[in-house]
Amino acid sequence: MKVLLIIPAYNEEESIKDTCEKIINYNKKHHQKLDFIVINDGSKDKTEQVLKENNYPHINLINNLGIGGAVQTGYKYALKNNYDIAVQFDGDGQHDINYIKKLIQPIIDNEQDFVIGSRFVENISEFKTSFLRRMGIKILTFFIKFTCGFNLKDTTSGYRAANQKVIKEFANSYPAEYPEPITTVEIVKKGYRVKEVGVNMKEREKGSSSIHTWKDAYYMINVCLSILIVGTRRYK
Amino acid sequence: MISKNLFLMIVLIIFFLCFVVLSLVRKDKIPIKYAIVWLFAIVILLFIILVPNLMTKISNFLGFELLSNMILSLFIGILLFITLALTVMISSQKKKITQLIQEVSILKKEVEEKK
Repeated sequence: MKVLLIIPAYNEEESIKDTCEKIINYNKKHHQKLDFIVINDGSKDKTEQVLKENNYPHINLINNLGIGGAVQTGYKYALKNNYDIAVQFDGDGQHDINYIKKLIQPIIDNEQDFVIGSRFVENISEFKTSFLRRMGIKILTFFIKFTCGFNLKDTTSGYRAANQKVIKEFANSYPAEYPEPITTVEIVKKGYRVKEVGVNMKEREKGSSSIHTWKDAYYMINVCLSILIVGTRRYK
Repeated sequence: MISKNLFLMIVLIIFFLCFVVLSLVRKDKIPIKYAIVWLFAIVILLFIILVPNLMTKISNFLGFELLSNMILSLFIGILLFITLALTVMISSQKKKITQLIQEVSILKKEVEEKK
């Protein structure tokens, strides 16, 4: 099984090396061959230089696309190179590579089409979130359950594994904004098998999060509306 | 009845719009496809001045106190419609640009690998 880790990176000069080295070490330790590709989303800092110097496989987007466009590039690359599984993996050190096996095993066994790494099931994660953020995630959980009937606990998790069929879907169309909750609704509505598994996530090590506090309310309104609208679409 | 000044103003606007839109199309700055929206607006304006009684009747029927109020509202309506049409165009272009950036970037990586 060919596995590709898609690592979107925007201004991650400090943490991208750590992230890549952890994957390389993991491969050595477990005699695995997990490929990875960093999608440099038009970073303004030295991310490109770091990637080049260390010879990490990477794609430099010739212009900034935002998280959705960057991740979709990874899926297109995965489709083009016939990968069986694609895993989204953050460049900022939030995601723990040691849980990769747990994430892809259901796909290898052909039990699931799409697996989401979750902070809120099985109580593994050491990730602490503020009350408000937990509230926000709960609201999104409710909206997703309302529109497609799927009980998703960690709505904003970006640690997700997709099989070939889902890779194809994402390469074809992927939302530019708020991709995580929206794609889950789409994939569930299209009838794919989706499962959440518990993984560990750390606090962001370096760099700054793409979600800022003062934007949170605006973010919530947008995401809720998008989920509702996607929920009214018909696919089959 | 439409007042003389309002009539003149609308005639001026029609001439101005016609001139700008048609010369833009002639110079190949905008395709006919996008000019249609503006030509449509001009046709509505033509209606307003050519059949003033009709307009007065409609304005009375809709409850506007002044004909000019209705015409202004009509302008705003036309502008909103054009803005909406533009938003649709921009969105579809954004999608195409995204696709372009992605494909070119992937190709660029492959070309550089082969060097």
